[in-house]
Amino acid sequence: MNGSARPILEVSDLVKHYGGVRAVDGVSFTVQRGTITGLIGPNGAGKSTVLNVIGGFLPPGSGHVIFDGEDVTGKPMHRLARLGVVRTFQMARVFGGLTMIENLLVAAPAQRGESAFGILGGKRIWGRQEAELLERAREMLRVFGMEDKADDYARNLSGGQKRAVETMRALMAKPKLLLLDEPMAGLSPSLSKQLEELFLNLTRDGLSLLLVEHELGTVDRLCSKVVVMAQGKVLAEGRMAELRTNKEVQDAYVIG
Amino acid sequence: MEYYLVILLVYLGTDLLAAWGLNLEFGVAGIANLAFIVTIAAGAYTYVICTLSSPAAGGGFQQYIGGFSLPFPLAVVAGTLMGGVVGVLIGITGLKRLRQDYQAVAMLVVSLMAATIVSADTSFLNGNAGVAILPQFAPLSDQDPEIQHWGYVAIVAVACIVGFLVLRRFTDGPIGRTLRAMRDDESAAAAVGKDVVALRLMVQAVGGAFGGLSGALLVAFIGGWSPGAWAYVETLALLTAVIVGGMGSNRGVSVGTFLIAILILQGVQFLPQISFRIGLREDLGWILLGTLTIVFIWVRPQGVLPERRPKYGRSP
Repeated sequence: MNGSARPILEVSDLVKHYGGVRAVDGVSFTVQRGTITGLIGPNGAGKSTVLNVIGGFLPPGSGHVIFDGEDVTGKPMHRLARLGVVRTFQMARVFGGLTMIENLLVAAPAQRGESAFGILGGKRIWGRQEAELLERAREMLRVFGMEDKADDYARNLSGGQKRAVETMRALMAKPKLLLLDEPMAGLSPSLSKQLEELFLNLTRDGLSLLLVEHELGTVDRLCSKVVVMAQGKVLAEGRMAELRTNKEVQDAYVIG
Repeated sequence: MEYYLVILLVYLGTDLLAAWGLNLEFGVAGIANLAFIVTIAAGAYTYVICTLSSPAAGGGFQQYIGGFSLPFPLAVVAGTLMGGVVGVLIGITGLKRLRQDYQAVAMLVVSLMAATIVSADTSFLNGNAGVAILPQFAPLSDQDPEIQHWGYVAIVAVACIVGFLVLRRFTDGPIGRTLRAMRDDESAAAAVGKDVVALRLMVQAVGGAFGGLSGALLVAFIGGWSPGAWAYVETLALLTAVIVGGMGSNRGVSVGTFLIAILILQGVQFLPQISFRIGLREDLGWILLGTLTIVFIWVRPQGVLPERRPKYGRSP
């Protein structure tokens, strides 16, 4: 296997129990570089738990997570984020006491103003980088059409806006692999459409995405591969068009 | 009367340093450190044992560890550093995935334990009787009283100015933003690469150093230090200053400190003696503090002078 063809993410035999409940029960799949992989399934299938384990929010019971050829199983979130694995949360979590644009700025990696040198040295150490980050953040807000809310406290935003902030914030962190938990929920149809385009553009620049999503239309348009989960296990894998006709998948959705 | 003004100014200065430290921890970074007074005590005791000569040389009337006969500046630096070390130790107790309210309780227990240990072990820091240093105003001890007093006010003022400049490095700019983000949501901060453990310990070290400096400067002025001076309720007075002034706002907390530490806690001393109960006026001060805290949390949680909202939105 040559290096560049190796998947960016390989999940093997992931198991996570809550007491006696096997929330995730031996899940394996891969995400190829520069693609969007969808993770779908009925409520309680274990999708968010898988995302939480990959992203370092929960320790796995057993199994392995390989990112970019490196075993990152059980690494804490901040280490994963610095390697390039950035996740969003199912319930959008913003920094309520910061303004919207500050929410984006704070996520930028390797900020000189956070180092001991930068803290004590002051603005002349980090001023230039800060100006660049501000430009990036403003550009991101333009793309999302939210410039007018830049200085609003994030706690005062609507649910959909908070979710957009979370996605923008994750992108500001310069991820290689983005783990998104229902990024379209609560967004206006026009913004979802824009976001779909943005995600597709970003994959052309090499970003890989793992997407938990309920809206199957979105999944169909974005994902080159879809993993269907039910009751903690992978039920099927393939393109959305093939899966729609799969009897097992239909049953899982109907029966729940 | 003039000496009373000197006392008030020194109290104000040392209380400001302490409140700024607690504001960095609680107001900015969201660490509910109910053991903050222990860092002040650490600074004070360290100052004392650094300036005193060995216990035997002092006639053995008080027992303590150390006794290094260091000059004033070195002893103050030692107290500041010790405050930072103790701050980190307190911070470690709150590191495990405890919810913020449990962390606060864990730290409150640390405060009670520290006071109990120091009281019980008389060979450590002379127990409940406390340690006394003579002469007072160490750096100015052979001067006229007037120069001593105002000279010491000047020393405290310089410490406050330097302290404030250092403080702003931590509360403003990218690091301040990162700390506020951690305060608002630790998990989300970790998800974008912030090392929450390292940040918390850094904040505890810096906040603790402010406490240590405050304690060292205070004890050099009052000349003695005992467990009675650092009961856990003293942390609550500082906390009230932070909440009333404006959590996360340095200016607000400065105003809050003046309001709480000087106007209320000193002001109640001027109330007429309305009962024979000893300590009634002090108790009234504490009742007022508790009431203020509750009123502000209900009615004006952002405080008198709230945290400033930075304006970035439009291109310049």
